[in-house]
Amino acid sequence: MPDFTDDLKPSYDGTAILQAERDRSSISVHELSKHLLSRDGFLERQNRIVPILENEPLFNKRQQLNLSRPERYHLGLARAKALRRLVKKHGWDHEDHKMAEYLTDEMSPYHLHMSMFSTTVKEQGSEEQKKYWWPKIESYKMVGAYAQTEMGHGSNVQGLECQAKYDVKSKEFVIHSPYLTASKWWNGTLGRTATHAIVVAQLLLPDAGNNGAFLSQGPHPFIVQIRDMKTHMPLDGIVVGDIGPKYGYTSMDNGYMLFNNYRVPHDALLSRYAKVDPTTGTFRKEGHPAVVYGSLTNVRATIVMHARLVLARAVTISVRYTSIRRQFKDRDAPNDTAPEMAVLDYPTVQVRILPLLATTFALHYTGEAMYNLYNDTRASIDKGDFSSIAELHSLSSGLKSLCTTYAANGIETCRRAMGGHGFGGGSGLIGINNDYLSKPTVEGDNWMITQQVAAYLIKKMTSAVKDTSNAAEDPTDELFKLYLSDRDRKSSADIICDGEIANGAILEAFRWRAADLSYQAYHARVVQKKKWNSLLIQLHKLSNAYSEMILVQNFAKALQLSRLSPATAITMTHLFQLFSLHTIDADARSFTTTNAVTSSSLDALPNLILMLMAEKIRPHAVKLVDCWALPDYILDSALGRYDGKVYEDLYDRAHRRNPLNRTTFNVDWESDEIVLGSGDGGRHLLAKL
Amino acid sequence: MSPTPSWVKKLKPSGPQGSELLAAERKKSSIDVGQLSEFLFTEEKLQRRNEILDILKSEKVFDKSQNYFAGRMDRFETALARAKKLQNVRVENKWNEDDMYIATELISEPGPYGLHEGMFLVTLRDQGTPEQHKLFLDKAVKYEIIGCYAQTELGHGSNVRGLETTATWNAEDKTFVIHSPHLTASKWWIGSLGKTANYAVVMAQLIIKGKGYGPHPFVVQVRDLKTHEPLENVHVGDIGPKFGYNTMDNGFLLFNKVKIPHVNMLAKFSHVDPNTGKYSRPISPSLIYGTLTWIRSNIVLSAGQVLARGVTIAVRYCAVRRQFADRDAPDSETSETPVLNYTMVQIRLLTLLASTFALHFTGNGMMKLYRANQKMMNEKGAGREKDSKRGAGPEETHAGSDLLADLHATSCGLKSLASSTAAEGLEVCRRACGGHGYSSFSGVGSYYADYLPTTTWEGDNYMLTQQVARYLLKSARSVLKGDKPTNDTTTILTNFKNRAEMGAAFDILGSDEDLVAAFAWRAAFLTFEALKHRDEQKKAWNDLLVDFYRLSKAHSQFIVVKNFHDALTDSTTTQSLNSDTVALMHKLFRLNALHTLETESSEFYASGAATVRQIQLARTTAIMKLLEEIRPHAVRLVDAWAFSDWQMDSSLGREDGNVYEDMFYRASELNPLNKITIDPYPGSEVLFKGQRSKL
Ligand SMILES: Cc1cc2nc3c(=O)[nH]c(=O)nc-3n(C[C@H](O)[C@H](O)[C@H](O)COP(=O)(O)OP(=O)(O)OC[C@H]3O[C@@H](n4cnc5c(N)ncnc54)[C@H](O)[C@@H]3O)c2cc1C
Ligand SMILES: Cc1cc2nc3c(=O)[nH]c(=O)nc-3n(C[C@H](O)[C@H](O)[C@H](O)COP(=O)(O)OP(=O)(O)OC[C@H]3O[C@@H](n4cnc5c(N)ncnc54)[C@H](O)[C@@H]3O)c2cc1C
Repeated sequence: MPDFTDDLKPSYDGTAILQAERDRSSISVHELSKHLLSRDGFLERQNRIVPILENEPLFNKRQQLNLSRPERYHLGLARAKALRRLVKKHGWDHEDHKMAEYLTDEMSPYHLHMSMFSTTVKEQGSEEQKKYWWPKIESYKMVGAYAQTEMGHGSNVQGLECQAKYDVKSKEFVIHSPYLTASKWWNGTLGRTATHAIVVAQLLLPDAGNNGAFLSQGPHPFIVQIRDMKTHMPLDGIVVGDIGPKYGYTSMDNGYMLFNNYRVPHDALLSRYAKVDPTTGTFRKEGHPAVVYGSLTNVRATIVMHARLVLARAVTISVRYTSIRRQFKDRDAPNDTAPEMAVLDYPTVQVRILPLLATTFALHYTGEAMYNLYNDTRASIDKGDFSSIAELHSLSSGLKSLCTTYAANGIETCRRAMGGHGFGGGSGLIGINNDYLSKPTVEGDNWMITQQVAAYLIKKMTSAVKDTSNAAEDPTDELFKLYLSDRDRKSSADIICDGEIANGAILEAFRWRAADLSYQAYHARVVQKKKWNSLLIQLHKLSNAYSEMILVQNFAKALQLSRLSPATAITMTHLFQLFSLHTIDADARSFTTTNAVTSSSLDALPNLILMLMAEKIRPHAVKLVDCWALPDYILDSALGRYDGKVYEDLYDRAHRRNPLNRTTFNVDWESDEIVLGSGDGGRHLLAKL
Repeated sequence: MSPTPSWVKKLKPSGPQGSELLAAERKKSSIDVGQLSEFLFTEEKLQRRNEILDILKSEKVFDKSQNYFAGRMDRFETALARAKKLQNVRVENKWNEDDMYIATELISEPGPYGLHEGMFLVTLRDQGTPEQHKLFLDKAVKYEIIGCYAQTELGHGSNVRGLETTATWNAEDKTFVIHSPHLTASKWWIGSLGKTANYAVVMAQLIIKGKGYGPHPFVVQVRDLKTHEPLENVHVGDIGPKFGYNTMDNGFLLFNKVKIPHVNMLAKFSHVDPNTGKYSRPISPSLIYGTLTWIRSNIVLSAGQVLARGVTIAVRYCAVRRQFADRDAPDSETSETPVLNYTMVQIRLLTLLASTFALHFTGNGMMKLYRANQKMMNEKGAGREKDSKRGAGPEETHAGSDLLADLHATSCGLKSLASSTAAEGLEVCRRACGGHGYSSFSGVGSYYADYLPTTTWEGDNYMLTQQVARYLLKSARSVLKGDKPTNDTTTILTNFKNRAEMGAAFDILGSDEDLVAAFAWRAAFLTFEALKHRDEQKKAWNDLLVDFYRLSKAHSQFIVVKNFHDALTDSTTTQSLNSDTVALMHKLFRLNALHTLETESSEFYASGAATVRQIQLARTTAIMKLLEEIRPHAVRLVDAWAFSDWQMDSSLGREDGNVYEDMFYRASELNPLNKITIDPYPGSEVLFKGQRSKL
């Protein structure tokens, strides 16, 4: 319906502002985009698939935020099915399918089928099992979930309570949930969608020496049909359902599941590495599941690469919006006619957003390095030799923890930096905030798993201390030996000399701090024999410090090797400096107490960081986010639109697309009626409660 | 779905039951929970709350069991039904404002009448003349008209002077013409406006004979009182879904040259003579200045409670949740450790537990100061008008008086610190609960989302700090001039100045007084540093914003530490609480102060308030010891915050510890998704079996 607001324009032109921002930077967006996004043809693939999704009405995101939980699942399922049909129609490969899921930007109810379920069958199934299941999986004749976590146990997998007891007589496993806490919980795709599930259960086998008793061989994966293939009702002896609404993941049916002495055949146990003799029930391990470590490292590399794109999204939106948003005149402006300032020109806005912009690149280069190492050593990994990747595997949990924390917190920082409009649905940061906040918890709780890194480093330091003479066996060993040979040094690094930043010294500072903190942890645990629990906080910091070192190192190395044009390369160096100096400043104390950086350098940091941001990065900010090439379709943001039409879009969403505005309410408190003219005294509402 | 079979109904959680675990926790500590609760809230308030709770529980419409499942439309509709019922219950039970406040807290969702109560009535009362009271306020009180407060626009929020909506005086027919010249002039974010209000107080640029006089408040009718449709040339609606606050209809509003009579400009503070068109400002606006201070002090006070809700949930759950056996435990020990025993969890939760009390006492301290100041002002008469050309002043259209300056600046800094602490703390609590924290049934996520705007409204938390800095610079200048100290701020600045040459030597680990003094020292040091940058080095204001932000934070942290300490040494405290409880409170005080000091250690070190050695000892020894000492009392301490289960609506935070049973009940019995069966195969177009697709 036309009305007088149709002709109104914003008091300033966002499109022109962004154009001016782009004009004043000499960075080549094309070059940098290609540099960042060429792996596996990412950019090409994205360009190809976006228009296809944009043309499908089902993939239109306009009403998502208004929908209830059941409606969101409904929509999610519809989209999941439609994607499968698009796969067929366009002959998409697996990567294409994953790209489409990424662009749709919600957890598909088929997600676990595509990921953990199929991977587990592939990696843990025997040849025979794979031959049987794979065609069904590929054709979606069945849909699978991965049911490991239980209500009572997530982090501690050894503590799972669900049992699979072997019955020698019938040659079956009896799957059973002895307690309420044994209920499977949180498992994606399980709640309403799956027909099958990988169920991880304690493998209980008859104890040969002890008649009638059973011994646990620890948790093992079983492939179990859980619903009828026709009616889709749960099979007898199984209770399964959706666990209800969550902070995010609205479209996903995370589920619960309980078994009442439910029998599955002998070949339900995935038996590439674990075999149970059908007649005697004796247990045999076969081969070494080292491949799993290889793929775990790969999974973590993917997490890091995903984190960078998520963070890039938040940064893209906030950089574009705060370049356009004007608020207040400069306080020192000579007269009243001065225009209002872009809020990105306020240092208190820069200090929140621009270091995160630098972080996107830091994550990128480490993700790349992880992928490269994995791919280079894949041949030997497949043979079960996993020494070349052992170190990265041990350290990758620390990177998972640090990088997902960066991204999760970064989204929220960017959102808040946008003031009121950041809180609105038009910010484009609501869904992603809700969904991404699961990441610090899943695939290893971010606090808990840092212990693995610390334990590894303590072990490495212990052996380095024992024996300093041998040649270094890996980079960590090398660092520790170097450190130990120079441990009593008096001097620390000057990372800033006469206002100049010394890039080499920055690296040294990160390395020294990481080594020294490793030594302190070693000393406390191994020499002083302190309780593990009393060290946890220290160990968490150690893991972060070590991971920060890896990020800084990979960033620096990549810049040395890159063949970017000089104008772009210099800005990348500034981003490297911003990332590392900001990281130092944020934890300055640990750089002093480890004697890694001189205090005069530390004192000079804050001003230098402000200078870097204002003079070196700010002029290129819009172009730098453009390089991440995030299509408007995935941003789904009025504030972050490429064309800068912020206000027009906000208004369009509120006025034209908002279903609440199609209803008129009765607001008189003395009247029971809620929707005006409905004549319903709120009864239909009460019926729902 | 078929009903839950009996074999499932019989299942129990493994190991010790949640209720036993919490009982054991409560047995470990002898803290008198009732006494501490009464000390925090007073017996009378607690009693009143229970009465109100009973009334609310008895009304079906307040039932919360479907809250987490519904979509935006249903949420809003239900919220409106609740708002109406609440108004009925209020009239029936003759509730006063305090009672209403309690009820709203218990219901715990923003409601569509919220801004009518919270801002419309208040603005009419404070800024209207007696004539206007009769015309508008009397009707508003009876809900014959329902209003909101429309200040923020699409293009401007922080910078109120930049508002674009105009109110042009028309001498001929003695009216104002309200107009939105640009799209960015659209009112935006206005609570209760989207679907509910039929009136609004509209802030608009007053223009008389082509001259601008800045933003002023006008009462404008926006919807028909019968049909509830927008009036002609008024365009109004809801702005759509948000991160949180989805039960509220935040609205937009545009005017196409709408005429309103002269009497609709709220005229207690500024006035346009209807005959001559002459503008005058007879009374100082310092009272409004006071209102802002009052609102911010309230935010500080409630921040303690907001955070306490998250901490209650997380502490109770982490006491019930057991994961892994302790690494150093003997092999014979097979049972798992409650995750609250891990120092990694304690450093997140117990430090926040300490913050809840710190914020509470600080809020109380602010309220006390505010009341004392109000009294003094009333005795002395209103303050002078000054400084009318202020810049970065969030939501301040009027200049302030010097009288309130200290309190005002302090409240700005504390609002920023307290609301950030509470908001971020809630997310820390949620994450500390691991996977189950991500479930809506944790009760933390939606509460956090609803709380988040507090970091933005009433002055954006970053921007506000400029006002604190401005005030501190002014105070430092007066100290340098040799003026006598008149308040806390000038006192610490003077102390610093007198001792700067000698340096400090605070026994931060041994003496509580010294610990407070170290905070004062650091704040004063940063103040004089900033002053040097601004006055001697003549740095641009804009270049100093990050310094100002840090300065404000340092100052506010000093105020918090000081207030906590003052509260503990106050005789009412020592008389109302057992000595055990007081001793425990002292530990919480020290945990809060030392943890803050450790987090901000570079500044303490740089200012000379603490040495590297002290900071290291604080971290490795003092804080670890405090965590250990406070740990046994954690559950009782959160009990003292006295949240009812009904209010928190959380499986994880239940008082009885029946975490798993409740989660299972909600998932399997309350969850509408489990009532449908789907067709899972991509080849089939059917989605929900037996239902026609709505898509
Ligand atoms: C959205 C989502 C999707 C999921 N999808 C699946 C799925 O498809 N399949 C599946 O099987 N699972 C799934 N999960 C479960 C997920 O893997 C677990 O939630 C996760 O592993 C964390 O375990 P937890 O919940 O038991 O946390 P807990 O271990 O209970 O953590 C609680 C707290 O204790 C701390 N803590 C625990 N142990 C220690 C320790 N030893 N030392 C110090 N601190 C400790 C943690 O840091 C945390 O603060 C999903 C979870 C979510 C949120
Ligand atoms: C849920 C909700 C309800 C609301 N209800 C109402 C209501 O009922 N009535 C009403 O009138 N308003 C309401 N508001 C609006 C609210 O008051 C404003 O959003 C708030 O004042 C912030 O202003 P802004 O959005 O313009 O932020 P902006 O000023 O645009 O802030 C954007 C960024 O710029 C920075 N910035 C701005 N100025 C400066 C400066 N000078 N120096 C340094 N940095 C700066 C900020 O720190 C922030 O990071 C509501 C908002 C929300 C989210």
